[in-house]
Amino acid sequence: MISFPTRRDFLVRSGISLAASNFLVGLPSFASASASTSPKKRIVFVFSPNGVIPDHFWPDPADEAMSLKRILQPLESVKSKLLTIHGMCNQIQGDGDGHMRGIGCLLTGIELFPGDIQGGSDTPAGWSMGISLDQYLRNQMQAAPETQTRFGSLEFGVMVPERADTWTRMSYAGANQPVAPIDNPYQMFDKLYGQTKNRELLASVLDGLGDEFRKAEQLISADDRRILQDHLQMVRQIEQELQREMSQKPKDLGHAIPELPPNIEEQNDNMPQLTRMQMDLMVSSFASDFARVASFQITNSVGGAKMRWLGIDEGHHELSHEPDSNESAYENLIKINTWYCEQVAYLANRLAATPEPDGNGSMLDNTTIVWTNELGKGNSHTRDNIPFVLVGGGLGFKTGRAVDYKRVPHNRLLMTLAAAIGYPQDSFGNPDFCGDGVLTGLS
Amino acid sequence: MNSRFALTNSLFAACLALMGPFCVATESQTDSGAKVNPRLEGELIYKRQCADCHGAAGEGVNGAYERSLVGDSSIGELTKLISETMPEGEPEACTAEDAQAVADYIHYAFYSPAAQVRNRPPKVVLTHLTSDQLRQSLSDLYAHFSEIAAVSETRGLHGLYFDGERWKEDKKKIERDDATINFDFGHDGPGDGINGKQFYIYWEGGLEIQETGRYQIIVESSCSFNLKLGHAERMLIDNHVQSGDKTVFNEPVELTGGRVYPIRLELRQRERKTEQPPAKIVLRWIPPGGVETVIPARNLRSGWAPNAYSLQTHLPPDDRSYGYDRGISINRQWDDAVTAAALEFAQITVSEIWPTYQRQHRKDKTDNRTKLRDFLVELIEVAFRGKLDDEQKSAYVDQFLMTTDDDSEAIKRVVLVALKSPWFLYPSLGELQNASATAANRLALVMYDSLPSDDWLLHRVGKGQLANEAQIRETATRMLTDYRARYKIRTMLHAWLNLQHLTDIRKDESQFNGFEPELVADLKASLNAALDDVVWSDGSDYRKFFTRDWVYTNNRIAAFYGDCYKRADELATTDLSPSVGDPEHRFGIMTHPFLMSGLAYHDSTSPIHRGVFLTRYVFGRTLRPPNEAFTPFSPDLHPDLTTRDRVSLQTGAEACQACHSRINGLGFILENYDAVGRFREQEKAKPINAAGTYVSADGETIELEGPHSLASYLIDSDDARRAFVNRAFQHFVKQPIEAFGVDASQRLMQKFVESQFNIQTLIVEIAVISATNPSILEGQGT
Repeated sequence: MISFPTRRDFLVRSGISLAASNFLVGLPSFASASASTSPKKRIVFVFSPNGVIPDHFWPDPADEAMSLKRILQPLESVKSKLLTIHGMCNQIQGDGDGHMRGIGCLLTGIELFPGDIQGGSDTPAGWSMGISLDQYLRNQMQAAPETQTRFGSLEFGVMVPERADTWTRMSYAGANQPVAPIDNPYQMFDKLYGQTKNRELLASVLDGLGDEFRKAEQLISADDRRILQDHLQMVRQIEQELQREMSQKPKDLGHAIPELPPNIEEQNDNMPQLTRMQMDLMVSSFASDFARVASFQITNSVGGAKMRWLGIDEGHHELSHEPDSNESAYENLIKINTWYCEQVAYLANRLAATPEPDGNGSMLDNTTIVWTNELGKGNSHTRDNIPFVLVGGGLGFKTGRAVDYKRVPHNRLLMTLAAAIGYPQDSFGNPDFCGDGVLTGLS
Repeated sequence: MNSRFALTNSLFAACLALMGPFCVATESQTDSGAKVNPRLEGELIYKRQCADCHGAAGEGVNGAYERSLVGDSSIGELTKLISETMPEGEPEACTAEDAQAVADYIHYAFYSPAAQVRNRPPKVVLTHLTSDQLRQSLSDLYAHFSEIAAVSETRGLHGLYFDGERWKEDKKKIERDDATINFDFGHDGPGDGINGKQFYIYWEGGLEIQETGRYQIIVESSCSFNLKLGHAERMLIDNHVQSGDKTVFNEPVELTGGRVYPIRLELRQRERKTEQPPAKIVLRWIPPGGVETVIPARNLRSGWAPNAYSLQTHLPPDDRSYGYDRGISINRQWDDAVTAAALEFAQITVSEIWPTYQRQHRKDKTDNRTKLRDFLVELIEVAFRGKLDDEQKSAYVDQFLMTTDDDSEAIKRVVLVALKSPWFLYPSLGELQNASATAANRLALVMYDSLPSDDWLLHRVGKGQLANEAQIRETATRMLTDYRARYKIRTMLHAWLNLQHLTDIRKDESQFNGFEPELVADLKASLNAALDDVVWSDGSDYRKFFTRDWVYTNNRIAAFYGDCYKRADELATTDLSPSVGDPEHRFGIMTHPFLMSGLAYHDSTSPIHRGVFLTRYVFGRTLRPPNEAFTPFSPDLHPDLTTRDRVSLQTGAEACQACHSRINGLGFILENYDAVGRFREQEKAKPINAAGTYVSADGETIELEGPHSLASYLIDSDDARRAFVNRAFQHFVKQPIEAFGVDASQRLMQKFVESQFNIQTLIVEIAVISATNPSILEGQGT
């Protein structure tokens, strides 16, 4: 059987012009052929907190070789798919401190409601007034059969505090509707595979149950045996169904269910393992096409991870307030951000190593990771030049380079991402920051 | 479809015919015949003239008369009927002595309840847990590792009020019980010494659930708050962030009757530079089938309450073909629900029960795996109601521990297999192991619909202290003082009064302005309070159900029903308090406005509903479905007729009268209570005629007039007592009483009479009968 790598290849080889192809979509055979060959577009928003050390982060846009500085070094292996976007400024004003607006307006591009959460020296605030980009894209995709998936989007977290407040929520389903990330990998596993896993569990215990029913039968009169026999018959019937189901399962899921290491508690020191587990689950969920949008929130805005595994005992947020002149803090912040970058690189490499189930290259070819942060720099609390590091393909951006927009509202990048996935908007978030439209020069 | 039509169908479908194929005349007189052996003679006649249509043993004949000839009419009634109507088309062919002989024969051979017992001696059958029993058993399996809430008379939630936005002992300004949570503190704050701009309140207590089902828990607040329910870590509503003008938060949850769930509500008013909304908090709910209301004090228990579990999985209804729930049906829906319930419980075992056990045993010097094994063995022994032998420990625990290092995975497998096992699902299968364990198992089933899990009870089992009737009786008595037993007794009383069918009561606005859903909810609560009060007051006297001249009332009820519903203590502020007495017009629960309005149409009374209710539920007489449905006459067609006259007109035909003289005869007695249960002397400017009759099971005709005479008769009626005793037995034991000996019902009646109709004693005696009955396993198999 001939396979066509892309819809365009198919059209070219079928001798159909692009214009004519639009009329063919209604024909079942053509429609399905084009649907199965058009590559999926996925997007993942990875969040790490407290700003970066800009001098060791941003590559020089003028450097055609795109030499990576210390923090981004771990992305060397996927540099051809790397795009750093400097000059994005979160200019949303209103209630809430810098960290709150930093995370709460990051993907929503709109103000926070007035509320009672007081942070720093600014006015108190509540939740965001609008939907976040990930949830917006999810809704768009779920609205059309060809982009619909089981979950639409998945919200991963790592060591997000057990506290629902403005600093711990990045994703919003709408105004005043924060979406809680799932930061327990076992809980995420249950969400993804719980049903299947439960069916497996059931299958694994049913055989033994039959013996128990037979033992019980011996204890009772012939009249009463009837109900147990009916019950046993039911058990047998379900067992057979499950056996059939289990034998078909790998095909349905597209891959085997991932195995998680057992008994990993949600504790600071387990952060590296928890991050791996969550990222492995994300890759598996993409391979099964459970979702095409994901967020991955490591700790929270003002997150205070203590990276003892790097020999750093102070909390991240505390360190991030230190002046640049504090050399040890400065060095530690570089190390901390490098560790975050390693996690992004791990995810990118896992995606690069996983072929698309439909044969369209690797999963990284069709997935864009957007690594971001609530601040540009920790000790100044600036929301100018907040990190936007894109890794992957599928959105038509020219990668392997660093770009600098100098100073534009980050709403325009949100609009650009929406349009690149196929859902252009006249504005995203507060329209006052969208007047100049999508960013040009990325493609 | 209008409500009249809806009521009509259900009414007539339920109650038209009284005694199977026969239309029985009201008077009966048994006159012993002169024949030497009338029964033999009757048998011959029956075979000759009746069996073709009715079958050789009255079982019915397809294409002829298909229903079996069973019922509770007396021989005299049967004689009259046969004489007048049988054989069909030529009733003159069997009259007088012949008819009586036939009546005598069929009554003895298969028709009467006694004959049915003789012919098919009922036995205790093996049943699986009913849905309620499964739900309660899982709650108690959880409680075994937690605790059971002790019965407490404290009401409301315990509140601690702090100046400043967190718990600081030296800033505690107020400590008190709040009857309900319904506060508007405005900008001033909750009280002296507390800065209205910045304060913290912590409320703690228990939420007593009196009806199993889906609840909507609603918090309305302009402040940051969080609400935990069931467990210190089980967050139901988390509004840590006060944001914008969103103030109403609503969360559904399944809650189990007879349980007290710990509830913790924290409110925080945070100081801020911007404008602060006035502080307000209201804790409301919508109970199953109810209306939204502030959670009343009667459901709140101030102070600490132990963690408690409620199954969230929906379970299908059980077989009710005998009039009470029985676990006799095996189908896919049930099995799937059990699996889902087991998986849900496995998850809660991982997340709550096992960590609790670890905390309780943190000082044990065993390693984690040994501890886990001990935990799982203990869990299964409670679930199976007995000790595990080594083979079972290996099959149910060890093999799963060996195959995985993942504790959660091992727990899930063990719990799933244990809860799907016949030893859990069929409570009788664990019997014979040990007499005390068997007795405890039966007692827990009877008293709580559950399994033995309380430490004190298991301790008695361990010591063999449930070995004789006296010990069992003492234990059953102790088990009565428990929310679980209270719940089960109340559900029994609901079944006795058939209250589950009185839903969605609405009335014609033009006639009964103000009869709102909130009022109906109050009336229901008032009736429940009356039921509880009779059971738990001194003497626990069944007769008080019919004699009380006061009701529980509140301001809304008094506003609608008038002065005779005023609170006796005008200063009372509780949600319900006793009303003034009204000995002229009020006679216990039979005249309670909830019952009277439920047993009525939206615009007029329904003597037929009331008559059927009294016949079937209060007097416990057999009623069968009618052969066809009828539509009652509309009041509009006969604007001048009273309800009584209209009903009489419609049911006046001879074919109807045979049954309806009995139904109407009881229903008319309550005609003084209008469609909302208000007392009236007149209808349509004509005085109420409340005269009626009742023909007892032993054939006596009693003339009654008005509610007073009905109440007086009910106190002494054997039929009514027997109906109550049998209903209680069925509800508590879920097996036919005849299976516990032909005279079990009679013995129980005698105990009931001897105890001065003490309901608590009756229930203890039912438990004793159940717990001392031989096991169905005896003499079987190996």
